[in-house]
Amino acid sequence: MKTSRIGRVTVWDRLGTLVLFLGAILWLIPLVWTVLISVRPPGETIVTGNIFFGSRITLENFEETFRIVDWRVGYGATLIFVFGVLAAQLVTITLAGFAFARLKFFGKRVLFTLILVQIMIPSAVLLVPNFSTIRALGLYDNRLGLMLPYFGSAFGTFLMRQAFRQVPLDLEDAARLDGCSWIGLLRHVYLPASIPTLVAFGLISITARWNEFLWPLMVTRSDENRPLAVLLAQVQRTNEVGALYGQTMAGVLIVIATLLILFIFFQRQFINSFVRSGLR
Amino acid sequence: MTATTSPRLKTATYGGWRTRLGRAVLPYFLIFPTFALILTFTLWPTVSAAMQSTIRTPSSARMAPRFVGLQNYIDLFTPTTEVGQTFPRVFVGTLVFAGVTVPISMGLSFLLAVMLNRKIRGLGFFRFAFFYPVVIPLIGAGSIFSFIFADNIGLLNTVLRSFGVQTHPWLGDATWAPIAVMMVAIWKQTGFYMILYLAGLQSLPTDVYEAADLDGANSWVKTTRITLPLLSGTTLFVLTTAAANAFQMVDQLYALGEGAPADRSNLMLYFIFQRYNERANTGYVNAITVILLVILLAFTLFNFIVIERKVYYEN
Amino acid sequence: MLLKRLNVLLIVALVLAAFAGLTTTRAQSATEVLFYYPTAVGGPISQVIEGYAAEFNAANPDVKVTAVFAGGYADIYKAVDTALKGGGQGPDVAIFLTTDMYSLIDNDYIIPLDDFIKAMPNGEAYLKDFFPAFLLNSQAFGQTWGIPFQRSTPVLYYNKTLFKENGLDPEKAPANWQELRDFAAKLTTPERWGLLIPSEGFPYWLFQGFAIGNGQNLVGEESNKVYFNTPSTVEALEYFANLSLKDGVMPKGIIKWGDTPADFWSGKAAMIYHTTGSLTNILKNANFEVGVGYLPAGKVGYGAPTGGGNLYILKSSPAEKQAAAWRWIQFLTTPEKQADWTVATGYIAARQAAWQTETLKKLVAEKPQYAVARDQLQYAAKELSTHRGSDVQRLFAVAVHSVLLGEKDAKTALDEAQAAAEALLAEFQN
Repeated sequence: MKTSRIGRVTVWDRLGTLVLFLGAILWLIPLVWTVLISVRPPGETIVTGNIFFGSRITLENFEETFRIVDWRVGYGATLIFVFGVLAAQLVTITLAGFAFARLKFFGKRVLFTLILVQIMIPSAVLLVPNFSTIRALGLYDNRLGLMLPYFGSAFGTFLMRQAFRQVPLDLEDAARLDGCSWIGLLRHVYLPASIPTLVAFGLISITARWNEFLWPLMVTRSDENRPLAVLLAQVQRTNEVGALYGQTMAGVLIVIATLLILFIFFQRQFINSFVRSGLR
Repeated sequence: MTATTSPRLKTATYGGWRTRLGRAVLPYFLIFPTFALILTFTLWPTVSAAMQSTIRTPSSARMAPRFVGLQNYIDLFTPTTEVGQTFPRVFVGTLVFAGVTVPISMGLSFLLAVMLNRKIRGLGFFRFAFFYPVVIPLIGAGSIFSFIFADNIGLLNTVLRSFGVQTHPWLGDATWAPIAVMMVAIWKQTGFYMILYLAGLQSLPTDVYEAADLDGANSWVKTTRITLPLLSGTTLFVLTTAAANAFQMVDQLYALGEGAPADRSNLMLYFIFQRYNERANTGYVNAITVILLVILLAFTLFNFIVIERKVYYEN
Repeated sequence: MLLKRLNVLLIVALVLAAFAGLTTTRAQSATEVLFYYPTAVGGPISQVIEGYAAEFNAANPDVKVTAVFAGGYADIYKAVDTALKGGGQGPDVAIFLTTDMYSLIDNDYIIPLDDFIKAMPNGEAYLKDFFPAFLLNSQAFGQTWGIPFQRSTPVLYYNKTLFKENGLDPEKAPANWQELRDFAAKLTTPERWGLLIPSEGFPYWLFQGFAIGNGQNLVGEESNKVYFNTPSTVEALEYFANLSLKDGVMPKGIIKWGDTPADFWSGKAAMIYHTTGSLTNILKNANFEVGVGYLPAGKVGYGAPTGGGNLYILKSSPAEKQAAAWRWIQFLTTPEKQADWTVATGYIAARQAAWQTETLKKLVAEKPQYAVARDQLQYAAKELSTHRGSDVQRLFAVAVHSVLLGEKDAKTALDEAQAAAEALLAEFQN
């Protein structure tokens, strides 16, 4: 419920809105200039000429990036990476979440605590040892090697456990009377009841994977395996020696476009997902 | 109807020994994938990093590594070694980075959430404006800001100069480069914390506020005495997330000068990344990993103790 | 009856086998060669390289070169290093920094090329045709390890229009340190810097110009020794730092490499130090006449390091791929291809014969800027390269940066760097 404010609009209200508005403009400036610079002719800097526009609007920067990286292959690699990981995660978190929510077994608390350690230790910090592990397994520059560390998700397990515990036991009883095994229970009772949580988890997982950078950079080499964030880094590197910001900005737009557009259309779902991740 | 959490399947006793065996084994089978993965990619690497941090590897491929105990850690802080010349300032820089970005982004996000939590038009616009940085990759943010912060042809300095303000090279200056890196991190994450606070604010009960209004309390009192305590759960979550993030948000350095100038804006995780492939630096890289782990675990522990004491949940 | 049938079967089988053997020899697929190359200069490098690969593949149907753009020099090194340590297949031939040579040898990644050179009909002449300065970072321990491909020296770029406007002779680049400082002072305004010398990352390269010009290079013949704190070098670092800290002709702090050409062609800097490899890009974008000069001379004279990348063949490659890779290297280092590469980038064609081709004769006639770096080669010396190369370079960077940021004086910083470097190189003193 909103904090109530009865009727009158105070000076503070107006000031607050103004500050909010200025803040929003400030936050939007990077995006606006990314677009502006990406369509500016290469070589024309903002000190020579108009700060907003160059001598003409052009798409050559975008074309040039295609000569540096193969965006199509990158998109393919990203989709496989993102949805491959998500698919595996959905399986592991559902199974584990169910076990922790509804089953009793020896060592349950210990195992749950051990799994929760992952929430305390972000995988980013373990880049180097995980890199050694993947290499030792022979999975360097391999799609599986790229995805494997993400397959198990303590965060997802935790979410599913919570969601499953909310399901009324009557539903489970009814299904058992109909002769359901645990698989049937999952299919007919628990999963359908937890779709909002699954969606929330899915959106967060997709966003996190789509924007993953250092790990893919370290663990992949071939173009077929490199997701978009790494391709962006290649564009960035190429232009660092000649500072062609137009190309770099074009590359940025190509990489962020998908999620940004999805975000515009599904703002509510995105935001709810991220909010959910904070609810305990 | 709220569900009770008494598990059911295990207490069932019907069935033959095969069914009961299956039922007993089932939980382990279900959690095995998750547990195995976390064992391999979270628990084992932690141990491995600790072990590897006690080993020194010579640079020549023909010589074998040897055990050196805690020497690597000492070297990291000794100014006469190659790593020791730069690591201490990276260590301090990382702590400063965390110590600055976390409070600022938390405070800013809370303020924005409070201002947004009124009946104003354009909520969608504001939410987009502050939250969109969350859905773009941090390396992308780095690229964008590498343009904004460029000394002579970048956006910020060009604008400042047009107002006659004295400018400095953002990414080339020892004081301003770390600040620039922090600005990118704050820009990126504030929106996330904002919506968390917003959700928290929107779930607050109105009766307490009405009572306070009747008592003639002003906004400041209401915010500090009512809102903040009621939001302590959210604040705790934001704090934990922000702190964990502060030690991981390094992608932007790739585009912002890789720690320039002279490692003044470098962060520990990126320092690791710069050297992860060099034989002679294996021990150091793992030692720094351990240091990061210790810091994070210490913070989590501290948080955990705080939960036990201070969190105020309305019952 | 049965025996007869078996005999017939046997004969048929033998015939089929022989036939199969013949067809497989004929249908043998082309030897695949994987080539990694970096971008270190602006411009459509990928296009040019892919064009070369296509041309080579068409002319050599039994070889298929796949060119892979692999990022910067450091990225290539990391990629190869990782692939080989992980037991994976790396590239067969790649461009590495010349300064990586000792590390590549220490790690056993590359093969010496002397056998290939000897097997050539005119191998000696081929090798002699390369500018001697470029071979300094290509040969070690009596063997040749890399073939120069994209080589450069730093040069001084200056804005001729701005020179004219400020009463300076547009045809004369500053000849020595005194003139450099004086010209820069004249050209500095609130809107514009007189001079930009990038110092981010590994500043040793541009700095070597100062060191060599003042009497002592940072490194000598040896692979296990450096000369960071000789008096002439200390003096050089003091001069360099004062340009920003005292003389005010350069911005304080560390200057970015990538932004410098754009600063120059937007008129934000009147003079810059940068690689000759950026020449084509700068000429394309500048709307004024661009002057190129030697790095101004120190006490002793002109001086510049060489730079850039060589072609190396990886040891992990099987023999036939190595042989095919050698043919690719030869293709890339023909005078014609070297000339073409110079036009596309500004790198110095490494073979002297290349400068006699029509392409380069014409280029130099129209744009004499392309010949400056080549002519500067007579004053060139070895680029800083030792065992534990990147660590040693880092040590030097730490020293330079601390002085540029005003935290230490030149002598202290360089003494410390020398001590630390000697500690690092101790294991290689035999």
